[in-house]
Amino acid sequence: MSLILPPDIVLKVDDLSIVYRTDRGDVKATANVSFELRNGQALALIGESGSGKTTISLALIRKLPKNALVTGGRILYQRNEKIKDVLELSDRQLREFRWNECAMVFQGAQNAFNPVLKIHRQFEDTAQSHGWTDKTAVRKRALSLLELVRLDPERVYDAYPHELSGGMKQRTLLALGVLLNPQIVILDEPTTALDILTQRAIIDVLNDMQRQLDFSIIFISHDLSLAAEMADHVATVYAGEIVELGAVNDIFYQSLHPYTHGLLTSVPTLEHAQDLLQSIPGSPPNLIAPPAGCKFHPRCAFADDTCSKDSPPLTDDVGGHLAACWHTDRLLASRKARV
Amino acid sequence: MTSEENVNRQTAPNPALAILLIPWGLLRSAARFLRRLRSNVPGMIGFIGLVAYFIFTFIMPHIIEFDGDPNLDEIVGPIGSRIQLAAHSENAHLRSFEDLAGKTVGVVDQTGGPDLIAPYADSLTIETYRWTSRRAGPGLEASLIDLANKEIDALLIFSKTVTELIDNQEDPELKALFAENIVITNPELGPPHLLGTDTQGRDIATHVVHGGRVLILTALIGGVISTVIALFLGSISALTGGVLDSGLTALTNLILAIPRFPLLVVMAGLIQFNNTLYLGVLIGLLGWPSLMRAIRSQVLSLRERDFVEAARSLGLSTNHIMLREILPNMISYVMINFIFSITFAMYEQIGLVVLGLAPINDYTWGVMLYFGRSRGTLYNADGASMALSPVLAIALFQVCLVLFARALEEIFDPRLRTAV
Amino acid sequence: MVDLLQKAAKNYTVRVFVQAILTIWAVATLTFLLVREMPGNPIDVLIEQILTQEGVSYQEAYDRVAASFNFDPDASLLDLYLSWLGDLLRFDLGTSITSPGTAVIDEIARFLPWTVFAVGMGLLISFVLGIILGMTMAYYRDSFLDHSLSLLSSFMTGVPNYIWGLLIIIVLGIQLDLFNVGELRGTYDISLTPGLNAAFVLSVFKHAALPITTYVIATLGGWMLNMKSSTMGVLNEDYVNVAEARGLTDKRIISAYVGRNAALPLFTQLTIAVGFVLGSGVVIEEIFVYWGIGHYLFQSITVRDYTSMQGVFLILTMAVVFSNLFADLTYGLLDPRVRISGDK
Repeated sequence: MSLILPPDIVLKVDDLSIVYRTDRGDVKATANVSFELRNGQALALIGESGSGKTTISLALIRKLPKNALVTGGRILYQRNEKIKDVLELSDRQLREFRWNECAMVFQGAQNAFNPVLKIHRQFEDTAQSHGWTDKTAVRKRALSLLELVRLDPERVYDAYPHELSGGMKQRTLLALGVLLNPQIVILDEPTTALDILTQRAIIDVLNDMQRQLDFSIIFISHDLSLAAEMADHVATVYAGEIVELGAVNDIFYQSLHPYTHGLLTSVPTLEHAQDLLQSIPGSPPNLIAPPAGCKFHPRCAFADDTCSKDSPPLTDDVGGHLAACWHTDRLLASRKARV
Repeated sequence: MTSEENVNRQTAPNPALAILLIPWGLLRSAARFLRRLRSNVPGMIGFIGLVAYFIFTFIMPHIIEFDGDPNLDEIVGPIGSRIQLAAHSENAHLRSFEDLAGKTVGVVDQTGGPDLIAPYADSLTIETYRWTSRRAGPGLEASLIDLANKEIDALLIFSKTVTELIDNQEDPELKALFAENIVITNPELGPPHLLGTDTQGRDIATHVVHGGRVLILTALIGGVISTVIALFLGSISALTGGVLDSGLTALTNLILAIPRFPLLVVMAGLIQFNNTLYLGVLIGLLGWPSLMRAIRSQVLSLRERDFVEAARSLGLSTNHIMLREILPNMISYVMINFIFSITFAMYEQIGLVVLGLAPINDYTWGVMLYFGRSRGTLYNADGASMALSPVLAIALFQVCLVLFARALEEIFDPRLRTAV
Repeated sequence: MVDLLQKAAKNYTVRVFVQAILTIWAVATLTFLLVREMPGNPIDVLIEQILTQEGVSYQEAYDRVAASFNFDPDASLLDLYLSWLGDLLRFDLGTSITSPGTAVIDEIARFLPWTVFAVGMGLLISFVLGIILGMTMAYYRDSFLDHSLSLLSSFMTGVPNYIWGLLIIIVLGIQLDLFNVGELRGTYDISLTPGLNAAFVLSVFKHAALPITTYVIATLGGWMLNMKSSTMGVLNEDYVNVAEARGLTDKRIISAYVGRNAALPLFTQLTIAVGFVLGSGVVIEEIFVYWGIGHYLFQSITVRDYTSMQGVFLILTMAVVFSNLFADLTYGLLDPRVRISGDK
């Protein structure tokens, strides 16, 4: 491939579109999604459930359900200045790519481990499948990783999954995720279904790990406070499209898209009074027949005729902070007025 | 429609109208069910098969008469008839036992011939030839030589291979001898028999038509009894709980540990049944435990569902909850298991009949098998239609039941798996 | 002491053991009552028979029956029951009525191994085949292969096993003449001396081939369907999804992640199958004239040898109970979750 990417970019998603074939029609789960992930970066994809965040992340390791069809785009992955399109990997290459280059920690790790195999067998399985057969070396690395996620390494390594609590399993899965030293770790709602203290512990562990092990994170969540804490970049996903993309502070303090703004004001914060809390009116659009123009316009307070006709492009107005909205100025004006 | 109207409709129906509505409702749900079944090909096959069996075993017997008389004119019938009469050429006119009176008759016995001859034994002089090999042994050949040499007047052969033996005779001398002297009387004779005739010249097809009624009735009795007991004990156990529940559960586990078929075999050995339908009752009395266990857990899980909780908090009686809330939700499950219990009852009673431990006074498919085994026709290469007719009748009936039950399973609730 | 008993009651192993013993005791009592007290029970029938046929006094008839049933004519019912239980504990099942002097337990020991061999082989083969085919059906669900295998399984489970046996004899043996039915009777070629030589072992397999094939056909369909639905459940489990994301080889996922978990619930059904197949052996062994325990039971029934009937029936029940017990105890080895909850 004659393509050249800047060396610090590990992943570049280009114009990715995915549909789900169903009996009632094609669900356009992801439409023209593009973004880049830099080495060491933590990118959060935020949005309501059903917005297409998970579809994007599953596409990255080609783990989409059987009825999904990639209708266009590329997923370029770079390591050591070699670039590959994930969508064009052979089955064998794909198997090697998974976990070795890009690991995914799924939502709800409660059931992520095979109940009849001990944890060490599952670590060894992963290593062996990628050609790493030296069990003592695997054990050494696994134990150090388990220690990094603040578990009792010896005990956990020799345990069955059901002997571990939910938080322990989640941390074990994190350790397993980085076992093969991947460049990218995808975390899909890593803390849902965990109690608040365990959530805290997981976040600390993740921060620690990223500092020590040097990998990039793609982080999927509807929990904005978590995203704010974990990510350095944020992409807002609405109806299968990225509607806003930028550095975490820009998004949270200077959001340019009414949907992001709506998401933020629907979450209580310490600064804002409870009475300012608003929810976004309406419900997510039907993705079999999405609305014309900007897909958010039926729910948007600033929408006008332009919005219902033309779909706004994702443009860079303020240096590195992209938004897909015709009326960013109106949003800014309204916010100024309120303050 | 407002909710008020809805309530009115349910609480104060016009009784006359309601009675009219019942068949209409049944018809509509039957039509809906058939529409759903149509997309399930194996289920449809099973359903059509069962309807065909119903017509076949409960209506056809009134039209087609049971052929119970040994019919000796059929002994030289077409292919499918299993008896042949060979005679010396001058005795070619011999057609039946009446004609044979006073003659010396050779009997080549492989398939239960003596039974057939017994009523006429007094008027005949009988020479018996042992059938010593499977296809055409020395016994048959010796009898033919005797026949050719006029030592006997006629020969009853309970096999059709005799023509082959005469035509394909390798020894030229014997071939000439047979061709000169032996006549196989009138091989074209007799009306066509769909499945041929048995060792006594009786039409097998009529036996198949008449052979299902008692079996299916017995299986239905067994199935109904075990399903009712299972439903009753299972729901009582689940709804009352406590000592009764643990007592019934222990009893169920105990009965489940006893191998059912040997128990039936032993009991059939101790008690002499004289009525097949009693056997159905016994099978039903022994057959409920596994279904009872399944129904108990069904009721237990239904009990925890919201609508039952709601009914209970309204203070409705256990009777009401069981009959109005829980039973309707289990009806398809019970139905499916009822069908499976019919297959078990069928399995067990025919098993007993084949062993000869159940009454054989009704000529059922099972009894046909029993005689096939005890008279050796099963092991006769010429007995194909005699042996296979009851076998296929039983096998296809069971397969239709299973196909239909599986289709019900898929249509009503794929998550529910049947007991056993 | 009480403390120890309480601990024992909570222990999984002890619990299933006690359950098994209680079941056997209950069945033993049941058979005792069946033979002794049921209206038309064999003892009364025999006494009646001797009375009418030989015109001896009741006491003499009773004594003679007592002798052949091997019980003390002067003892009370309770004493008889207790002594019968005592005999049972020493594996003494009495002597045969029709051939006096032959211990029933010796006869059982002679016939039972053949049945265990045939039933065991049949179940083993069908279980393994069923697991493979069931997984294939789940992986290719809704394909032509799945539909035809599922139709086939309806045939295999629906058609009674003795009908399969008869079909094998009639179609393969008689009509197509693929083998000689008569020669395959019995458990081995009687001209051979039993021992560990090739000819004998071969003959044992040859004679057991038909019953084994029948057991395989009749039970395979059930395994296939159960394995299919179990596999489909497991395929939806997160850990399979995660295993694929981990880039494990297909071979490893299919065997250790899908196969092993999907087969677990089938092991409990294996014990039900053991009971059923062992029981149905009576007809199958009669049809093939295979000299196993079912054949022995049937022969005892035809000659009204009540002590043998009673003994065989008890042994069959015990075999089922012990195979349940075995399954309960070994299930823990296969599923670590049970092992832990069992100990606690």
